[in-house]
Amino acid sequence: MADEALFLLLHSEMVAGLYRAAEQGEGENGRCTTKLESMGFRVGQGLIERFTKDTARFKDELDIMKFICKDFWTTVFKKQIDNLRTNHQGIYVLQDNKFRLLTQMSAGKQYLEHAPKYLAFTCGLIRGGLSNLGIKSIVTAEVSSMPACKYLKYSIISPL
Amino acid sequence: MTIHNLYIFDRGGSCLFYSEWHRRRPPGIPQEEEFKLMFGMLFSLRSFVAKMSPTDMRDGFVSFHTSRYRLHYLETPTGLRLVLNTDLGVANAREALQHIYSNLFVELVVKNPQCPPRAPVQSLLFRQRLDAFVRSLPYFGPRNP
Repeated sequence: MADEALFLLLHSEMVAGLYRAAEQGEGENGRCTTKLESMGFRVGQGLIERFTKDTARFKDELDIMKFICKDFWTTVFKKQIDNLRTNHQGIYVLQDNKFRLLTQMSAGKQYLEHAPKYLAFTCGLIRGGLSNLGIKSIVTAEVSSMPACKYLKYSIISPL
Repeated sequence: MTIHNLYIFDRGGSCLFYSEWHRRRPPGIPQEEEFKLMFGMLFSLRSFVAKMSPTDMRDGFVSFHTSRYRLHYLETPTGLRLVLNTDLGVANAREALQHIYSNLFVELVVKNPQCPPRAPVQSLLFRQRLDAFVRSLPYFGPRNP
C-alpha cells in the first residue's frame, strides 16, 4: 500500500459518505453495509490478481487461507493475522488483535456499535480475493473488544 | 515541578478538549466563560506580539509566566491551539506540546472516523493516552507543598 494514512482516511470518508447519503436519500442501514462489502469485493478481486502474479499455484484451501493471513494481510495492513483456526470442513476464523482500521478509534468498549461499519469493506476484500482464487465463500466479521476483530469465512459447498 | 492543565482550541475559538491534573484554585467562573476568556486572551496576545515585535518574528507568542505559573502555547498551521499551564520549573514545553499534537491528537482524533473535525473530543482512547503521556513527563511531579 502506498501510504497507510491515505487509505485510512479514504476508507473513513467512504464509510461516512455512504451513511450520509443513506440518511438523506433512500435506503436503510443494511444497504450501506452491502454496498461497502461489494466495493471491497471488487477491490479484493483486483488486488489478489496483482499480488499472486508471481507466486506458484496453491495446493489446497488451507494454503490459500494461509496466504491470505500472511502475505495478503501484510501487504494491505502491514501486519499478519494473529490467529487462524479451522474445522477443516470449510469454516475458518481469522483473528486480528490490533486491526489497523480500528486502532485509532478506541481500545475497549467505546464506539463498539460503530465498528461493524468499518469491517464491511475488509470482509468484501477477503471474499473478493478468495473468489478470484476459485473459492466461493461468505465472510462475516465480529468485534467483541476494540481493536481486536474476527473474520469468519464459510465455504459455499458446491457439488463438484 | 508540575503540570496544571491543558486546553485545546480550534480555529474558531471553541474548546475541543480540556484536562487538568493539579489545579489548586477553582476558577470561580463557569467553564464556558473560562474557555472564552482564555481564547480571547490568546487571540489578543498573538496579534499584539505580531504587531509590536521589535525584531523579525520567528515563532510568535510562545509562553508567558507569572510568579506562580507558566503558560505554554503552540499553534499549528491548521489553526489548532494547544495551551499548557505548568509551574515555573518548566522552561520549555514546546516539544511536549508538539508531541501531543502530532503523535496523539493527529493519530487518535484526526484519524478517528468517529471524531468529526472541529467537534469536542469524545474519544476515551485519546484521553487515556494523553494522561499516560503527561504523567510520564519528567517534570510531572507530586504537588508542591
